[in-house]
Amino acid sequence: MNTFFLFVDLFLGFLVLGCLYRVVLGPTTIDRMIAVSAIGTKTLVILILIGFIFGRVEMFVDICTVYALLNFLGTLAATKYFEEKGKC
Amino acid sequence: MLTKVYENLIVQTVCRIMVPFIQVYALYVIAHGHYSPGGGFQGGVILTASLALIFLAFGQGAVLGRITRRMSIILCGFGVFIYAGIGLLCLLLGGNFLDYSQLAPILGVSIPRARSLGILGVEVGVGLAVMAAMYSIILDIAGSPAPGIDQLTPESKK
Repeated sequence: MNTFFLFVDLFLGFLVLGCLYRVVLGPTTIDRMIAVSAIGTKTLVILILIGFIFGRVEMFVDICTVYALLNFLGTLAATKYFEEKGKC
Repeated sequence: MLTKVYENLIVQTVCRIMVPFIQVYALYVIAHGHYSPGGGFQGGVILTASLALIFLAFGQGAVLGRITRRMSIILCGFGVFIYAGIGLLCLLLGGNFLDYSQLAPILGVSIPRARSLGILGVEVGVGLAVMAAMYSIILDIAGSPAPGIDQLTPESKK
């Protein structure tokens, strides 16, 4: 089962590269913000699966909750700043 | 400067629902810090995150109505006072700085229990100090300037 989790982790890490492409070359700011948010969500799953591999899920769930909170907060702050500036 | 307030029903409702849970989670991180990742610093930062969420959704006035700038400085000093006070109390009772086992006669519990309670007290102090310091940093970098701050600029001296 650990091998399965490891390969899912690697696959998700590969998918992060796709989002990173959108972050670097995104035509607009909105694209970049959504891509960063998607990378954060993938990171959550990767962290939980690493917790399963290490056998300490209860510890990694705590980290994941904080990470999800900060991801939400960061996206909200970036959107607010974008709204304030008013251009792409 | 994020000083303008934009009324947004979705953001405001989500923030109103999430803020109490974030604060309870921050208290969990502070109180459970010696068994799981976390502790005073991390719990204080999560508490500040809840305040930043109120700041983003409801504007600066809503958050200043709860904790003023003056109150944040007082809380910061009070947190450091709790931390250093517990450490110096251990020093006065004959141990090293932050040697919690010296607190056992005062608290009336066994030595391992006194160590656990001492760590909890120190982490509450650190959490308060970090929360207040981070909050005042957020106010300084994102809010409107404090009332007295323009007196320090060179132009007002003319």
